[in-house]
Amino acid sequence: MGFFKRRTILIVLVLFFIAIQLFSLDLRERNSQNPVSKLVLNITYYPQMAVSGVTDKAVSAWRDYIDLMHVNEENKRLREELLALRQEKFESAEIKAQNARLKKLLDFKDVSLYPVVSANVIGASPSILRSQVVIVDKGAADGITEGMPVASYNGIVGRILLASDKSSEVLLITDPVSAVDAYIHRTRARGIVKGVGSGCVMEYIENKSDVSVGDKVISSGKDGFFPKGVIIGTVTDISPSGSFISAGVSPHVDLNSLEEVVIIQKSVNNVVLNE
Amino acid sequence: MNKTVTFVSLLLVSVLIITVQSTLLSPRNAGHLIPDLNLIFIVFLAVYSETRGGFLLAAGNGYMMDVLSGNLPGTFTISRLSAYILVRTSSNHVYLKKALVLGLVIFLSTIFTWTFILTIIRIKSDAGFQLSFGDIILQGLVNSVVGVPLFWAAGRIHARFQK
Repeated sequence: MGFFKRRTILIVLVLFFIAIQLFSLDLRERNSQNPVSKLVLNITYYPQMAVSGVTDKAVSAWRDYIDLMHVNEENKRLREELLALRQEKFESAEIKAQNARLKKLLDFKDVSLYPVVSANVIGASPSILRSQVVIVDKGAADGITEGMPVASYNGIVGRILLASDKSSEVLLITDPVSAVDAYIHRTRARGIVKGVGSGCVMEYIENKSDVSVGDKVISSGKDGFFPKGVIIGTVTDISPSGSFISAGVSPHVDLNSLEEVVIIQKSVNNVVLNE
Repeated sequence: MNKTVTFVSLLLVSVLIITVQSTLLSPRNAGHLIPDLNLIFIVFLAVYSETRGGFLLAAGNGYMMDVLSGNLPGTFTISRLSAYILVRTSSNHVYLKKALVLGLVIFLSTIFTWTFILTIIRIKSDAGFQLSFGDIILQGLVNSVVGVPLFWAAGRIHARFQK
Protein backbone atom coordinates (compact mmCIF):
# COMPACT_ATOMS: atom_id res chain seq x y z
CA MET A 1 0.00 0.00 0.00
CA GLY A 2 2.81 2.36 0.94
CA PHE A 3 4.53 1.60 -2.34
CA PHE A 4 1.33 2.50 -4.26
CA LYS A 5 0.85 5.72 -2.29
CA ARG A 6 4.35 7.03 -2.88
CA ARG A 7 4.41 6.27 -6.57
CA THR A 8 0.79 6.45 -7.71
CA ILE A 9 1.34 8.81 -10.63
CA LEU A 10 4.43 6.92 -11.77
CA ILE A 11 2.59 3.57 -11.66
CA VAL A 12 -0.38 4.97 -13.59
CA LEU A 13 1.98 6.42 -16.22
CA VAL A 14 3.78 3.09 -16.60
CA LEU A 15 0.42 1.32 -16.92
CA PHE A 16 -0.63 3.85 -19.56
CA PHE A 17 2.44 3.13 -21.67
CA ILE A 18 1.92 -0.62 -21.29
CA ALA A 19 -1.68 -0.13 -22.46
CA ILE A 20 -0.51 1.77 -25.54
CA GLN A 21 1.97 -0.97 -26.38
CA LEU A 22 -0.67 -3.67 -26.01
CA PHE A 23 -3.12 -1.66 -28.08
CA SER A 24 -0.51 -1.31 -30.80
CA LEU A 25 -0.89 -5.01 -31.50
CA ASP A 26 -2.94 -5.27 -34.63
CA LEU A 27 -6.48 -6.09 -33.47
CA ARG A 28 -7.14 -8.16 -36.55
CA GLU A 29 -3.98 -10.21 -36.25
CA ARG A 30 -4.12 -10.84 -32.52
CA ASN A 31 -3.67 -14.36 -31.29
CA SER A 32 -7.07 -15.38 -29.99
CA GLN A 33 -5.83 -18.71 -28.64
CA ASN A 34 -5.30 -17.23 -25.18
CA PRO A 35 -6.65 -19.89 -22.77
CA VAL A 36 -7.45 -17.29 -20.07
CA SER A 37 -9.78 -15.42 -22.46
CA LYS A 38 -11.51 -18.70 -23.24
CA LEU A 39 -11.79 -19.45 -19.53
CA VAL A 40 -13.55 -16.11 -18.97
CA LEU A 41 -16.00 -16.92 -21.78
CA ASN A 42 -16.60 -20.35 -20.25
CA ILE A 43 -17.12 -18.94 -16.75
CA THR A 44 -19.67 -16.41 -17.96
CA TYR A 45 -21.47 -18.93 -20.20
CA TYR A 46 -23.74 -20.49 -17.54
CA PRO A 47 -24.87 -17.26 -15.84
CA GLN A 48 -25.46 -15.69 -19.26
CA MET A 49 -27.50 -18.71 -20.33
CA ALA A 50 -29.52 -18.47 -17.10
CA VAL A 51 -30.22 -14.74 -17.51
CA SER A 52 -30.96 -15.18 -21.20
CA GLY A 53 -33.33 -18.08 -20.41
CA VAL A 54 -35.21 -16.10 -17.76
CA THR A 55 -35.42 -13.02 -20.01
CA ASP A 56 -36.69 -15.11 -22.93
CA LYS A 57 -39.34 -16.70 -20.70
CA ALA A 58 -40.46 -13.31 -19.37
CA VAL A 59 -40.66 -11.87 -22.90
CA SER A 60 -42.45 -14.98 -24.11
CA ALA A 61 -44.98 -14.80 -21.23
CA TRP A 62 -45.67 -11.14 -22.04
CA ARG A 63 -46.12 -11.95 -25.73
CA ASP A 64 -48.47 -14.83 -24.81
CA TYR A 65 -50.54 -12.44 -22.75
CA ILE A 66 -50.75 -9.95 -25.62
CA ASP A 67 -51.57 -12.80 -28.00
CA LEU A 68 -54.38 -14.05 -25.75
CA MET A 69 -56.13 -10.74 -26.16
CA HIS A 70 -56.57 -11.45 -29.86
CA VAL A 71 -56.96 -15.18 -29.56
CA ASN A 72 -60.54 -15.56 -30.83
CA GLU A 73 -60.12 -13.92 -34.20
CA GLU A 74 -56.66 -15.47 -34.47
CA ASN A 75 -58.16 -18.90 -33.83
CA LYS A 76 -60.73 -18.50 -36.58
CA ARG A 77 -58.11 -17.29 -39.03
CA LEU A 78 -55.74 -20.09 -38.11
CA ARG A 79 -58.40 -22.77 -38.71
CA GLU A 80 -58.87 -21.43 -42.20
CA GLU A 81 -55.14 -21.28 -42.70
CA LEU A 82 -54.75 -24.83 -41.45
CA LEU A 83 -57.15 -26.13 -44.07
CA ALA A 84 -55.27 -24.25 -46.78
CA LEU A 85 -51.93 -25.52 -45.48
CA ARG A 86 -53.12 -29.13 -45.44
CA GLN A 87 -53.98 -28.80 -49.09
CA GLU A 88 -50.64 -27.15 -49.76
CA LYS A 89 -48.77 -29.83 -47.81
CA PHE A 90 -50.35 -32.52 -49.96
CA GLU A 91 -49.36 -30.68 -53.12
CA SER A 92 -45.89 -29.98 -51.74
CA ALA A 93 -45.32 -33.67 -50.96
CA GLU A 94 -46.21 -34.48 -54.52
CA ILE A 95 -43.79 -31.88 -55.86
CA LYS A 96 -41.06 -33.08 -53.46
CA ALA A 97 -41.40 -36.64 -54.65
CA GLN A 98 -41.27 -35.51 -58.24
CA ASN A 99 -38.24 -33.34 -57.46
CA ALA A 100 -36.40 -36.24 -55.83
CA ARG A 101 -37.00 -38.39 -58.87
CA LEU A 102 -35.75 -35.66 -61.19
CA LYS A 103 -32.68 -35.09 -59.01
CA LYS A 104 -31.81 -38.75 -59.14
CA LEU A 105 -32.29 -38.62 -62.85
CA LEU A 106 -29.83 -35.77 -63.21
CA ASP A 107 -27.44 -37.30 -60.67
CA PHE A 108 -27.70 -34.07 -58.69
CA LYS A 109 -25.79 -34.13 -55.42
CA ASP A 110 -27.97 -32.49 -52.82
CA VAL A 111 -25.26 -31.42 -50.42
CA SER A 112 -24.69 -27.94 -49.08
CA LEU A 113 -21.23 -26.47 -49.56
CA TYR A 114 -20.53 -26.07 -45.85
CA PRO A 115 -22.16 -27.53 -42.74
CA VAL A 116 -23.95 -25.05 -40.49
CA VAL A 117 -24.63 -24.84 -36.75
CA SER A 118 -27.53 -22.81 -35.40
CA ALA A 119 -26.93 -20.77 -32.25
CA ASN A 120 -28.82 -18.44 -29.91
CA VAL A 121 -27.59 -15.01 -28.86
CA ILE A 122 -27.14 -15.12 -25.07
CA GLY A 123 -25.22 -11.91 -24.43
CA ALA A 124 -23.53 -8.86 -25.86
CA SER A 125 -20.60 -6.58 -25.21
CA PRO A 126 -20.70 -4.99 -21.74
CA SER A 127 -18.94 -1.79 -22.85
CA ILE A 128 -19.72 1.26 -24.94
CA LEU A 129 -16.24 1.09 -26.48
CA ARG A 130 -17.01 -1.91 -28.61
CA SER A 131 -20.71 -2.57 -28.53
CA GLN A 132 -20.91 -4.41 -31.87
CA VAL A 133 -20.10 -7.79 -30.35
CA VAL A 134 -22.58 -10.51 -29.35
CA ILE A 135 -22.11 -13.81 -27.53
CA VAL A 136 -23.71 -17.02 -28.82
CA ASP A 137 -24.30 -20.34 -27.05
CA LYS A 138 -22.17 -22.52 -29.34
CA GLY A 139 -18.42 -22.98 -29.07
CA ALA A 140 -15.45 -25.19 -29.84
CA ALA A 141 -17.34 -28.23 -28.52
CA ASP A 142 -19.77 -27.77 -31.43
CA GLY A 143 -16.96 -27.43 -33.96
CA ILE A 144 -16.81 -23.64 -33.93
CA THR A 145 -13.45 -21.96 -34.53
CA GLU A 146 -12.29 -18.37 -34.82
CA GLY A 147 -12.95 -16.73 -38.16
CA MET A 148 -16.04 -18.75 -39.11
CA PRO A 149 -18.72 -16.63 -40.78
CA VAL A 150 -22.01 -16.05 -38.99
CA ALA A 151 -25.27 -15.38 -40.83
CA SER A 152 -29.01 -15.40 -40.35
CA TYR A 153 -31.69 -16.34 -42.88
CA ASN A 154 -31.57 -12.67 -43.94
CA GLY A 155 -27.85 -12.36 -44.68
CA ILE A 156 -24.41 -11.88 -43.18
CA VAL A 157 -24.17 -11.13 -39.45
CA GLY A 158 -20.44 -11.23 -38.70
CA ARG A 159 -17.69 -13.66 -37.86
CA ILE A 160 -16.43 -15.61 -34.85
CA LEU A 161 -13.88 -13.57 -32.92
CA LEU A 162 -13.22 -15.89 -29.99
CA ALA A 163 -14.49 -19.41 -29.36
CA SER A 164 -14.44 -21.11 -25.98
CA ASP A 165 -15.78 -24.62 -25.35
CA LYS A 166 -19.37 -23.58 -24.75
CA SER A 167 -19.79 -20.12 -26.21
CA SER A 168 -18.31 -17.77 -28.81
CA GLU A 169 -18.00 -14.07 -29.47
CA VAL A 170 -19.30 -12.77 -32.78
CA LEU A 171 -17.87 -9.58 -34.26
CA LEU A 172 -20.79 -7.98 -36.10
CA ILE A 173 -20.32 -6.48 -39.57
CA THR A 174 -21.21 -3.10 -38.08
CA ASP A 175 -18.09 -3.11 -35.85
CA PRO A 176 -15.46 -0.62 -37.07
CA VAL A 177 -12.86 -3.42 -37.12
CA SER A 178 -14.99 -5.59 -39.41
CA ALA A 179 -14.29 -5.67 -43.17
CA VAL A 180 -16.03 -7.79 -45.82
CA ASP A 181 -14.96 -8.01 -49.44
CA ALA A 182 -18.14 -7.36 -51.43
CA TYR A 183 -19.81 -6.79 -54.79
CA ILE A 184 -22.69 -4.65 -55.91
CA HIS A 185 -25.02 -7.43 -57.04
CA ARG A 186 -26.37 -5.61 -60.12
CA THR A 187 -23.09 -4.39 -61.62
CA ARG A 188 -20.43 -6.54 -59.88
CA ALA A 189 -18.61 -3.35 -58.75
CA ARG A 190 -16.25 -4.40 -55.99
CA GLY A 191 -15.45 -2.77 -52.66
CA ILE A 192 -14.89 -3.36 -48.96
CA VAL A 193 -17.83 -3.18 -46.54
CA LYS A 194 -16.70 -1.75 -43.22
CA GLY A 195 -18.66 -1.24 -40.02
CA VAL A 196 -19.39 2.21 -38.66
CA GLY A 197 -21.31 1.26 -35.52
CA SER A 198 -24.83 2.13 -36.57
CA GLY A 199 -24.47 0.59 -40.03
CA CYS A 200 -21.90 -0.12 -42.73
CA VAL A 201 -20.11 1.71 -45.48
CA MET A 202 -18.79 0.20 -48.71
CA GLU A 203 -15.45 1.78 -49.51
CA TYR A 204 -12.92 1.61 -52.35
CA ILE A 205 -15.49 1.27 -55.14
CA GLU A 206 -13.89 2.40 -58.39
CA ASN A 207 -14.96 5.86 -59.54
CA LYS A 208 -16.30 4.69 -62.90
CA SER A 209 -18.45 1.98 -61.29
CA ASP A 210 -22.21 1.98 -61.67
CA VAL A 211 -23.72 2.15 -58.17
CA SER A 212 -27.23 3.35 -57.29
CA VAL A 213 -29.22 3.75 -54.12
CA GLY A 214 -31.19 0.56 -53.54
CA ASP A 215 -28.56 -1.75 -55.04
CA LYS A 216 -28.02 -5.01 -53.14
CA VAL A 217 -24.54 -5.68 -51.75
CA ILE A 218 -23.32 -9.28 -51.60
CA SER A 219 -20.15 -10.96 -50.33
CA SER A 220 -17.48 -11.73 -52.92
CA GLY A 221 -15.91 -14.61 -50.99
CA LYS A 222 -12.46 -13.20 -51.65
CA ASP A 223 -11.66 -12.10 -48.10
CA GLY A 224 -11.21 -15.65 -46.91
CA PHE A 225 -13.94 -15.44 -44.28
CA PHE A 226 -17.35 -15.16 -45.88
CA PRO A 227 -18.81 -17.44 -48.53
CA LYS A 228 -19.52 -15.93 -51.93
CA GLY A 229 -22.93 -14.50 -52.80
CA VAL A 230 -24.45 -13.96 -49.36
CA ILE A 231 -26.43 -10.73 -49.04
CA ILE A 232 -24.95 -8.04 -46.79
CA GLY A 233 -27.29 -5.10 -47.24
CA THR A 234 -28.69 -2.36 -49.44
CA VAL A 235 -27.00 0.84 -50.66
CA THR A 236 -28.60 3.84 -48.95
CA ASP A 237 -26.42 6.72 -50.16
CA ILE A 238 -23.43 7.37 -52.37
CA SER A 239 -20.64 9.90 -51.99
CA PRO A 240 -17.25 10.48 -53.62
CA SER A 241 -14.25 9.56 -51.48
CA GLY A 242 -10.99 10.71 -53.06
CA SER A 243 -10.46 8.67 -56.19
CA PHE A 244 -13.09 6.14 -55.10
CA ILE A 245 -16.81 6.03 -54.38
CA SER A 246 -18.10 5.37 -50.89
CA ALA A 247 -21.59 3.95 -50.36
CA GLY A 248 -23.61 3.79 -47.17
CA VAL A 249 -24.95 0.26 -46.65
CA SER A 250 -27.90 -0.65 -44.46
CA PRO A 251 -27.40 -4.26 -43.25
CA HIS A 252 -30.07 -6.67 -44.42
CA VAL A 253 -30.14 -8.35 -41.03
CA ASP A 254 -31.66 -6.38 -38.14
CA LEU A 255 -28.58 -6.63 -35.92
CA ASN A 256 -30.27 -4.83 -33.04
CA SER A 257 -32.80 -7.59 -32.47
CA LEU A 258 -30.64 -10.57 -33.23
CA GLU A 259 -31.84 -13.75 -31.50
CA GLU A 260 -30.83 -16.74 -33.60
CA VAL A 261 -27.92 -17.06 -35.99
CA VAL A 262 -26.30 -19.71 -38.13
CA ILE A 263 -22.56 -20.36 -37.95
CA ILE A 264 -21.15 -21.55 -41.25
CA GLN A 265 -18.45 -24.13 -40.54
CA LYS A 266 -16.05 -22.83 -43.07
CA SER A 267 -12.55 -22.58 -41.68
CA VAL A 268 -10.09 -20.04 -42.98
CA ASN A 269 -7.86 -22.90 -44.20
CA ASN A 270 -10.75 -24.31 -46.20
CA VAL A 271 -11.23 -20.99 -47.89
CA VAL A 272 -7.64 -20.78 -48.94
CA LEU A 273 -7.79 -24.29 -50.33
CA ASN A 274 -11.18 -24.03 -51.99
CA GLU A 275 -11.15 -20.56 -53.41
CA MET B 1 -14.90 -12.59 7.88
CA ASN B 2 -12.11 -14.79 6.58
CA LYS B 3 -10.05 -13.12 3.80
CA THR B 4 -10.43 -16.08 1.45
CA VAL B 5 -14.20 -16.20 1.89
CA THR B 6 -14.39 -12.45 1.28
CA PHE B 7 -12.26 -12.79 -1.85
CA VAL B 8 -14.35 -15.67 -3.25
CA SER B 9 -17.60 -13.80 -2.46
CA LEU B 10 -16.35 -10.68 -4.24
CA LEU B 11 -15.20 -12.83 -7.17
CA LEU B 12 -18.70 -14.30 -7.48
CA VAL B 13 -20.17 -10.80 -7.31
CA SER B 14 -17.78 -9.80 -10.12
CA VAL B 15 -19.06 -12.62 -12.33
CA LEU B 16 -22.64 -11.70 -11.49
CA ILE B 17 -22.04 -8.05 -12.36
CA ILE B 18 -20.33 -8.81 -15.67
CA THR B 19 -23.18 -11.21 -16.52
CA VAL B 20 -25.81 -8.54 -15.88
CA GLN B 21 -23.76 -6.02 -17.84
CA SER B 22 -23.38 -8.37 -20.81
CA THR B 23 -27.04 -9.39 -20.90
CA LEU B 24 -29.71 -7.14 -19.37
CA LEU B 25 -27.59 -3.99 -19.22
CA SER B 26 -25.53 -4.40 -22.37
CA PRO B 27 -25.18 -1.16 -24.35
CA ARG B 28 -26.38 -3.15 -27.37
CA ASN B 29 -29.68 -3.97 -25.69
CA ALA B 30 -30.21 -1.07 -23.32
CA GLY B 31 -28.69 1.84 -25.25
CA HIS B 32 -25.66 3.90 -24.34
CA LEU B 33 -27.12 5.52 -21.24
CA ILE B 34 -26.65 2.54 -18.98
CA PRO B 35 -24.54 2.39 -15.83
CA ASP B 36 -21.13 0.74 -15.91
CA LEU B 37 -21.67 -1.56 -12.91
CA ASN B 38 -18.23 -3.07 -13.39
CA LEU B 39 -16.54 0.30 -12.86
CA ILE B 40 -18.75 1.17 -9.89
CA PHE B 41 -17.75 -2.18 -8.37
CA ILE B 42 -14.06 -1.38 -8.88
CA VAL B 43 -14.49 1.92 -7.03
CA PHE B 44 -16.24 -0.06 -4.29
CA LEU B 45 -13.30 -2.48 -4.13
CA ALA B 46 -10.86 0.41 -3.92
CA VAL B 47 -12.71 1.82 -0.93
CA TYR B 48 -13.69 -1.29 1.02
CA SER B 49 -11.51 -4.28 0.13
CA GLU B 50 -8.02 -5.13 1.34
CA THR B 51 -5.26 -4.05 -1.07
CA ARG B 52 -3.92 -7.30 -2.54
CA GLY B 53 -7.30 -8.99 -3.07
CA GLY B 54 -8.85 -5.79 -4.38
CA PHE B 55 -5.96 -5.29 -6.80
CA LEU B 56 -6.41 -8.81 -8.22
CA LEU B 57 -10.18 -8.43 -8.42
CA ALA B 58 -9.89 -5.05 -10.16
CA ALA B 59 -7.53 -6.59 -12.73
CA GLY B 60 -9.83 -9.60 -13.12
CA ASN B 61 -12.87 -7.39 -13.63
CA GLY B 62 -11.03 -5.34 -16.24
CA TYR B 63 -9.91 -8.51 -17.97
CA MET B 64 -13.47 -9.85 -18.13
CA MET B 65 -14.51 -6.54 -19.70
CA ASP B 66 -11.70 -6.91 -22.25
CA VAL B 67 -12.66 -10.45 -23.19
CA LEU B 68 -16.38 -9.79 -23.48
CA SER B 69 -15.87 -6.53 -25.38
CA GLY B 70 -14.38 -8.33 -28.38
CA ASN B 71 -11.18 -9.69 -26.82
CA LEU B 72 -9.46 -6.32 -26.43
CA PRO B 73 -5.71 -6.24 -25.66
CA GLY B 74 -5.82 -5.34 -21.97
CA THR B 75 -7.35 -1.90 -22.45
CA PHE B 76 -9.94 -2.29 -19.70
CA THR B 77 -7.63 -4.33 -17.47
CA ILE B 78 -5.06 -1.57 -17.30
CA SER B 79 -7.41 1.42 -17.24
CA ARG B 80 -9.50 -0.08 -14.43
CA LEU B 81 -6.43 -1.13 -12.51
CA SER B 82 -5.17 2.45 -12.74
CA ALA B 83 -8.53 3.76 -11.51
CA TYR B 84 -8.38 1.27 -8.64
CA ILE B 85 -4.90 2.47 -7.63
CA LEU B 86 -5.91 6.14 -7.85
CA VAL B 87 -9.07 5.74 -5.78
CA ARG B 88 -7.33 3.41 -3.35
CA THR B 89 -4.52 5.85 -2.65
CA SER B 90 -6.80 8.87 -2.37
CA SER B 91 -9.84 7.34 -0.66
CA ASN B 92 -8.44 8.06 2.79
CA HIS B 93 -8.46 11.76 2.04
CA VAL B 94 -12.05 12.17 1.05
CA TYR B 95 -15.15 11.79 3.12
CA LEU B 96 -16.92 9.08 1.15
CA LYS B 97 -19.94 8.81 3.40
CA LYS B 98 -21.32 12.01 1.88
CA ALA B 99 -23.40 11.21 -1.19
CA LEU B 100 -22.11 14.23 -3.08
CA VAL B 101 -18.45 13.34 -2.50
CA LEU B 102 -19.10 9.71 -3.37
CA GLY B 103 -20.93 10.72 -6.54
CA LEU B 104 -18.00 12.94 -7.46
CA VAL B 105 -15.51 10.12 -6.87
CA ILE B 106 -17.51 7.77 -9.10
CA PHE B 107 -17.88 10.51 -11.74
CA LEU B 108 -14.15 11.31 -11.72
CA SER B 109 -13.23 7.61 -11.80
CA THR B 110 -15.42 7.19 -14.88
CA ILE B 111 -13.91 10.25 -16.53
CA PHE B 112 -10.41 9.01 -15.69
CA THR B 113 -10.84 5.46 -17.05
CA TRP B 114 -12.55 6.58 -20.24
CA THR B 115 -10.12 9.45 -20.84
CA PHE B 116 -7.35 6.87 -20.39
CA ILE B 117 -8.97 4.72 -23.10
CA LEU B 118 -9.87 7.69 -25.30
CA THR B 119 -6.25 8.89 -25.26
CA ILE B 120 -5.03 5.46 -26.40
CA ILE B 121 -7.65 5.40 -29.14
CA ARG B 122 -6.61 8.86 -30.33
CA ILE B 123 -2.93 7.85 -30.33
CA LYS B 124 -3.78 4.72 -32.30
CA SER B 125 -6.24 6.49 -34.57
CA ASP B 126 -6.32 3.60 -37.06
CA ALA B 127 -7.92 1.25 -34.52
CA GLY B 128 -11.38 2.28 -35.74
CA PHE B 129 -13.08 2.79 -32.38
CA GLN B 130 -15.51 5.65 -32.02
CA LEU B 131 -15.92 7.32 -28.67
CA SER B 132 -16.58 10.96 -27.91
CA PHE B 133 -15.96 13.00 -24.80
CA GLY B 134 -19.69 13.67 -24.65
CA ASP B 135 -20.29 9.91 -24.30
CA ILE B 136 -17.79 9.84 -21.44
CA ILE B 137 -19.44 12.71 -19.56
CA LEU B 138 -22.86 11.09 -19.95
CA GLN B 139 -21.49 7.75 -18.75
CA GLY B 140 -19.95 9.52 -15.74
CA LEU B 141 -23.25 11.17 -14.81
CA VAL B 142 -25.22 7.92 -15.15
CA ASN B 143 -22.62 6.04 -13.10
CA SER B 144 -22.80 8.67 -10.35
CA VAL B 145 -26.59 8.67 -10.17
CA VAL B 146 -26.82 4.87 -10.11
CA GLY B 147 -23.58 4.31 -8.22
CA VAL B 148 -24.34 6.32 -5.06
CA PRO B 149 -27.38 4.27 -3.91
CA LEU B 150 -25.71 1.04 -5.02
CA PHE B 151 -22.59 1.96 -3.11
CA TRP B 152 -24.61 2.80 -0.03
CA ALA B 153 -26.48 -0.54 -0.16
CA ALA B 154 -23.29 -2.50 -0.87
CA GLY B 155 -21.51 -0.69 1.97
CA ARG B 156 -24.24 -1.72 4.43
CA ILE B 157 -24.10 -5.36 3.26
CA HIS B 158 -20.32 -5.28 3.52
CA ALA B 159 -20.48 -3.85 7.04
CA ARG B 160 -22.94 -6.57 8.12
CA PHE B 161 -20.65 -9.29 6.79
CA GLN B 162 -17.65 -7.76 8.54
CA LYS B 163 -19.35 -8.00 11.96
